[in-house]
Amino acid sequence: MATAAEKSTKERLLRALDDLEVLSRELIEMLALSRGQKLPQPGEDTQVRLTHTLDRVSPGQPGSASNLSVRSSGAGAAGAAGQGVPGADGGGAAAGEGSPEMQLLEKEVEKRDSDIQQLQKQLKEAEHILATAVYQAKEKLKSIDKARKGSISSEEIIKYAHRISASNAVCAPLNWVPGDPRRPYPTDLEMRSGMLGHMANLPTNGVNGHLPGDALAAGRLPDVLTPHYPWQSSDVSVGMLPPHHGNDFGLEPPGHNKENEDDVEAMSTDTSSSSSDSD
Amino acid sequence: SGPEEQARNRFQSELEFVQCLANPNYLNFLAQRGVLRERPFINYLKYLLYWKEPEYAKFLKYPHCLHMLELLQYEHFRKELVNAQCAKFIDEQQLLHWQHYSRKRTRLQQALAEQQQPQQQPPPHGNATTK
Repeated sequence: MATAAEKSTKERLLRALDDLEVLSRELIEMLALSRGQKLPQPGEDTQVRLTHTLDRVSPGQPGSASNLSVRSSGAGAAGAAGQGVPGADGGGAAAGEGSPEMQLLEKEVEKRDSDIQQLQKQLKEAEHILATAVYQAKEKLKSIDKARKGSISSEEIIKYAHRISASNAVCAPLNWVPGDPRRPYPTDLEMRSGMLGHMANLPTNGVNGHLPGDALAAGRLPDVLTPHYPWQSSDVSVGMLPPHHGNDFGLEPPGHNKENEDDVEAMSTDTSSSSSDSD
Repeated sequence: SGPEEQARNRFQSELEFVQCLANPNYLNFLAQRGVLRERPFINYLKYLLYWKEPEYAKFLKYPHCLHMLELLQYEHFRKELVNAQCAKFIDEQQLLHWQHYSRKRTRLQQALAEQQQPQQQPPPHGNATTK
């Protein structure tokens, strides 16, 4: 016959399990009850009943479920594990402050929540501003780069501006009236007197020959009338070379290799047309 | 030396030719002869775009040609140039634009002259009152 002190391990375990089962059942019932009622009272009742149940079920067994102390109230159960049960009184006394404390805590929680949301908003704003700033900075850097690439000495620009203005190439002379032969582009006369015009004087049959636009005159000007207009700028451009290119401007359509740039001058082999006149 | 002189001549002739493009009547002439439809010529026009670079552009006396060159890259523009009216319109607008600066300058000078005149009158009155 086994005495109480000599119960087998198996039996002790089984008893502990039974205790747990009963406890948990009651706990759940009480929680369900108190949630349904939502009164401050259930907290107190629950507390009391729970501790009573605990005491009844496990009077002296250390290390068992008696060490569980559950404080439950209306809606939310804040479980504090590991608290010893001081006795029904201590539990009962604490139960009355359950909901006001809970309310305080809830208020705290709300405050923290709104703080966090505020912070989140500010962070988002800051991120937006920073992103904009970074983007604009990048754009600025790009334009700085671009400007640096295209930089020209101011003296050159001024020289050039003087050149094109003094010759009335971009700005009409102040005393210009209709009938004045001057134009913002090279006139027929200027065209003929240039190098291209003189190429037309060569005694060839249209390979290099005809100056475009002057099929009629065929470039026959008396030497007196060949002023050296500065638009050819042969003195200034010494040493200046055009970009390298092959002679095939017909190159883009593949296999079409016959034309070369000389055809540019030889385009009008018929002499019947009148040259263009500027008014 | 042969090739260098050739290159120089090419520079010279291209300089002249690209500036000829500033003349809308000349463009009309080319268009009517079908030059603007020829593929080699179109490629040549594209090649001539190098005159937009500053180291080349500084030799251009007639900068209008660069604008024309840019327009000539478009087939639609090349087609339109066949019409004499189109060329005439361009010519007129070009002339008006050309005169725009001198008109602006004249107006500016007039405005300046008007500004300076009133300032010369007050001093004599001031001297009269101190007496």
